[in-house]
Amino acid sequence: MKKQRTNAIVTLYHKLGSPPSFYRISGYFLKWLLLISIALTCWGLYDGLVLAPADYQQGDSFRIIYVHVPAAWMSMFIYAVMGIAAIIAIIWRMKVAEAVMIASAPIGAWFTFLALVTGSLWGKPMWGTWWEWDARMTSELILLFLYIGIMATYGAFSEDARKAARMAALVAVVGLVNLPIIHFSVKWWSSIHQGTTVSLTGESHITWEMLRPLLYMAFATKFYYGYSMLKRARLYLLETESQKKWAHTVITENK
Amino acid sequence: MKPFLSLVKRDLTLGLRKKSQIYQPLVFQLLVVTMFPLGLGSGAKTLALIAPAVIWILALLASLLTLDQIFKNDYDDGSVESYVLTSYPLSMAVMAKVLAHWLLTGLPLVLFAPVLGVLLHLPSSSYGVLMLSLLIGTPIFSFIGSIGSALTMSLKHGGLLLTVLVMPLLAPVLIFGAGAVVESALGNSASQHLLLLSGMLVLSFTLVPFASAAAIKINLE
Repeated sequence: MKKQRTNAIVTLYHKLGSPPSFYRISGYFLKWLLLISIALTCWGLYDGLVLAPADYQQGDSFRIIYVHVPAAWMSMFIYAVMGIAAIIAIIWRMKVAEAVMIASAPIGAWFTFLALVTGSLWGKPMWGTWWEWDARMTSELILLFLYIGIMATYGAFSEDARKAARMAALVAVVGLVNLPIIHFSVKWWSSIHQGTTVSLTGESHITWEMLRPLLYMAFATKFYYGYSMLKRARLYLLETESQKKWAHTVITENK
Repeated sequence: MKPFLSLVKRDLTLGLRKKSQIYQPLVFQLLVVTMFPLGLGSGAKTLALIAPAVIWILALLASLLTLDQIFKNDYDDGSVESYVLTSYPLSMAVMAKVLAHWLLTGLPLVLFAPVLGVLLHLPSSSYGVLMLSLLIGTPIFSFIGSIGSALTMSLKHGGLLLTVLVMPLLAPVLIFGAGAVVESALGNSASQHLLLLSGMLVLSFTLVPFASAAAIKINLE
């Protein structure tokens, strides 16, 4: 009984590694991922913007947290997924891993950008400045540069998409090794330079009414990422496999 | 060891014949450093305050000017393919290329730094730390840059891409390099910064040759 189950998982794993099966299997999930993400977003935003109590210090402007924090979480989560996919793409040369990696980069870059912009909008009323060179903001900005570097590498070798993807994967892996170094050096740097960095105090004392919408939004962004990444990855596979028979049938039958 | 040394010797000979690679970064530094007093005013205090950062950023920019040369010429004339095809480990060939590149472009930057220090009124007590920090930091530029150079060597205009790739990775080097000089200018000990910088050098020395070798192999596919 047990053996059979592992076999099924292994078969699924191998199936997901082949582009036609990946395309077919991911097709079942797309609609649901999108629906769940829309539902969770609506629910989370209603809960966060209407139901959650206003902060006693920040008033209503704290509510931007429900966009800012999930976006910042996603910027790191997506880099981790992308980094793992990049390692697989370099070592085993799996086409699907390349697709996942290339599909993740622009989504991660936009979430990073969103986190920076909403943070800046939040910073103006709270700290009185649009931008502060504190550790978290600086490393988030450098993370955006890394995303841009990965996308620029992929774009530079446009004549051969697979080679471009592997080059971009290498940049992603180098960035993955460097991220902790960058993070800690920026942290130490800002603690050297500004003894009194403005920081939001009392983050751990968040009530359940305020935390709940945040969790909804965190899941909503995950599902959105799943949807958007699969959609892009499927397109990448169709493009790179356009000479194959399965891609031909998909394109002609779907119109 | 013999292929390593002969590769370094070959690159040094080539570099010394075409001297522009050596003096152009220094001229660039001199030109840009002249712009600072012109833009900021010639107040010695202001200049001394920004001197550590300016000298380090100039070293970074001057290195970026020459980084694409690590593999570019060898790719154009086909030598890179011979490095891949020989039985000699590609990562060691990368190491030789990086060493030669640093001797030709990094070392002159280290030796030239005191001139920039004088022009920017850097306190005389921090010249030693300035040169030491650059001595540890500029090889990291060459190492990390070799990944960028290996990735962009087959592109016609890869310079900007190389800058985008390499600059974020070099941010920690700048933080601790310039930080060391700032500390010594304030009269504090710079040893913490210098030790962290040395740690980064060791890390890039051990890891980067493999990354560059992988980049070369993917690029030649």
